[in-house]
Amino acid sequence: MGELLEVTNLTAGYGDGPSILDGAHLSVEPGKVHCIIGPNGAGKSTLLKAICGMLKIRQGDVKFNGQSLKGLRPDQILRKGICFVPQERALFPKMTVRENLRMGGYSLDDRSGLERSIDEIEERFPILKERRDQHAGTMSGGQQQTLSMARTLIIKPAIVMLDEPSLGLAPKIVQEMFDIMKMMASEGITILLVEQNALMGLKNSDWGVVLDLGRTLFKGPAPEVLADPRIQELYLGGKKAA
Amino acid sequence: MEQIIQTLILGIALGGVFALMGSGLSLVFGVMRIVNLAHPSLIIAGAYVTYWGFRLWGIDPLVMLPVAAVVLAGIGVLLYKLVFEREARSAKYSEMTVLLTFATAMIVEGALGFMFTNTQRVTSPGYATDAIFIGNVFIPMGQLYAGIVSLVIIGALAAFLKYSRFGNAIRATTQNRDAAELLGVNVNLVGIMSFAIGIGLAGAAGALVSFVFSFFPAKHWEWVAVLMSLVVLGGMGSILGTVLASFLLSIIAAFVGVWFGSTWSTMTFFLALFLILLVRPQGLFGEKPELA
Amino acid sequence: MTVATKSDASEGVSAVLEARKAYNIKLAASADKARSIWFPLVLMAVLLALPALQFVGNYNYVLHLVLFTACYAAMASGWNILGGFTGYISLGHNVFFAIGGYFAGMIFARYGVSTILMAPMAGILCAAVGYLIGSITLKTRGPSFIISSLALVMIARILFDHWTFVGGANGVALKANDLPVLWSKLPYYYAFVILAAFSVWASYRIKHSKFGLGLRAISKDEIKAESAGIDTRTYKVLAFAISAAFVGMAGAVWGEYLTYIRPNIFLVILVSVNLVLMCILGGKGTIAGPVIGAILITAFNEVFVATLGASELNILATGVLMVVVLLFFPLGIVGTLARNHRLPRILNWD
Repeated sequence: MGELLEVTNLTAGYGDGPSILDGAHLSVEPGKVHCIIGPNGAGKSTLLKAICGMLKIRQGDVKFNGQSLKGLRPDQILRKGICFVPQERALFPKMTVRENLRMGGYSLDDRSGLERSIDEIEERFPILKERRDQHAGTMSGGQQQTLSMARTLIIKPAIVMLDEPSLGLAPKIVQEMFDIMKMMASEGITILLVEQNALMGLKNSDWGVVLDLGRTLFKGPAPEVLADPRIQELYLGGKKAA
Repeated sequence: MEQIIQTLILGIALGGVFALMGSGLSLVFGVMRIVNLAHPSLIIAGAYVTYWGFRLWGIDPLVMLPVAAVVLAGIGVLLYKLVFEREARSAKYSEMTVLLTFATAMIVEGALGFMFTNTQRVTSPGYATDAIFIGNVFIPMGQLYAGIVSLVIIGALAAFLKYSRFGNAIRATTQNRDAAELLGVNVNLVGIMSFAIGIGLAGAAGALVSFVFSFFPAKHWEWVAVLMSLVVLGGMGSILGTVLASFLLSIIAAFVGVWFGSTWSTMTFFLALFLILLVRPQGLFGEKPELA
Repeated sequence: MTVATKSDASEGVSAVLEARKAYNIKLAASADKARSIWFPLVLMAVLLALPALQFVGNYNYVLHLVLFTACYAAMASGWNILGGFTGYISLGHNVFFAIGGYFAGMIFARYGVSTILMAPMAGILCAAVGYLIGSITLKTRGPSFIISSLALVMIARILFDHWTFVGGANGVALKANDLPVLWSKLPYYYAFVILAAFSVWASYRIKHSKFGLGLRAISKDEIKAESAGIDTRTYKVLAFAISAAFVGMAGAVWGEYLTYIRPNIFLVILVSVNLVLMCILGGKGTIAGPVIGAILITAFNEVFVATLGASELNILATGVLMVVVLLFFPLGIVGTLARNHRLPRILNWD
């Protein structure tokens, strides 16, 4: 199988609480944008957290390039090239933009190489260069999201997982975030996107994955998912409820 | 006028020592969210280490300072491993750790009292009682040295946090623990190290305390609320804030002492603590309501 | 989908009601079986009769131990209303021990009114002071509250140490009563035993009242309690006041029993620590917990002070005990046993 990431029968939850994910399946193909949609509480964020090692896998498995990620710590999974940008953007508000970028490469051993890649990223995202000595907490929501997405590029990841990058942003800014995301994908980075705004997410993705009740219900090319009347009714608010 | 300058100088000198006493507390809170009520008792432990070096071998307290810092850092790691590590996943973490540090303070006090009795001790290097006079204003050399050493140590700490890779990891963990972990920081190691550094700073502060104040095992109760007021006013976890608060409150306390008598000068710190409570009812440490 | 007819539905409903009723009866029966009322009553009767020992010999030491334990049991039960039911840990409740002691002690010294008679007044005074202090410090929670309570002790210690009217750090000597040695402890003995019984009874009543339910809701989740319509501010300040009152009443009698009032008997941290430790060891938020804790900790202190004679070791051992209890038995004896369904009936007073 040519899958980059293979999630099989995954069960996971928080602390001693009930399992939020209960038998989720997912196969991720390299270089594509995968949009995971589903209602609140379906387990979308939980899935990403379980993949990146923040949550313990109770049952099932996650395989990356055929190797199991089960039982690895977040930093070990990160070193394999899987990056997670959580909903709350994971910035350090009282550190400068440059320091935030430097923290992005904390797992790298090559210190001089790190400074060079930070310089490269600053060239690609001029706003980050402009604000380099400013505290991250003082930037706008869109700039913060740009920073946290750009920061993942430092370790040259294979997979970037984005949890609701559009949260709290104006529609125009949201499209900018999706453009950054598509640019990353065009460079060969595989994207796993969780999006509340399913319509917008699917429009910018290659694949659509529907997750509900902790299980994967459906996977298909994004345009097909978008067009499917059942999906429209259930998750996209296509039809008004009677 | 002379009296005002004199009081100001005494306040600043004391503030320098308090700044070091408070900064370790602030660091430990920042990274671990532990309100360490045992910090003052560990300062006194550091003072005893210095005292015995001075008394038995005549080693200068400032030379003993690194020794005290290392010994106490070791005790810090031990404490962390024995007591606090297993609490890391507790639901009532902040409350549990306060009670645990409180109990630790009693253990340290009891152990010191048992080993060294409750006699008042002080180290007396030559400079401890020296003073230089500028006109009629005198500057006590002991407190001056202590203040300078304290600021040098805090400066080194600040530089370490700002410019070193591990220092950055400590700051990052303070500001957003989950994010630091996601970026590959070993947050448990950061926890142990910052505990070691924080308690090591208590040891260093103890070396200074040994010739600035006289001390005995139970003295730490007087300092608990004093140090809390500094750290709280400075904003828990902010070392710069703690330093500023130390100078501010020490200077106010010095004036209160001159005007109303020395017993009331300590009261300054306690009342400051209560005032902050009134002004910031949401809590001293910005506690968020616990959601189930 | 099947559609139930009308008669089916009403039959279904009545069946459900039937089943629920049976379940409730079973639940009530098992609750009754689990709780024992006779044991505390028998215990009380034994304690009331205990001074008869004095007819056959001098058992003053035994009476002292029981009295001392009862004093702490009363205070710990009081502390439990705030610390156990409501979840606000106070390390400053010995301030009310001092206020009660000084208030009744000074009146005794000046006007000769027995502190036992003044104890209820001391309780009311402490409730009032507690209400005031609580309405300031209860704005905070968690560690902030604990620290504010510690600061309170520091402030009180400085004030009492320098208040010349009450003798400053030297305090005031109180006249001992003129009963024969054999019977001189008797008034205080009964005062403390009755106070302890009263505070246990009051805790029980409070825990089973609507007020107590509100307090327990606050300790579980204050935000949710508030959104459920509980006036959390008033509730917790009242809990503070009530718990202060019990500690104050104990303090009132304690001074006369010792024949002096002095800051360093009331305002030492060990008194507060003992209260906290007794409740946590016995079981925070349970009725029997503070009493069991008081018995064990008093015995523990007695062994250390009497056999080793070193107060430093006592402090050390208390600290170690506290760490061990917090780490390994955070629910306390009653709480842990109840969780494992191993709680003997005689210890279930809830």
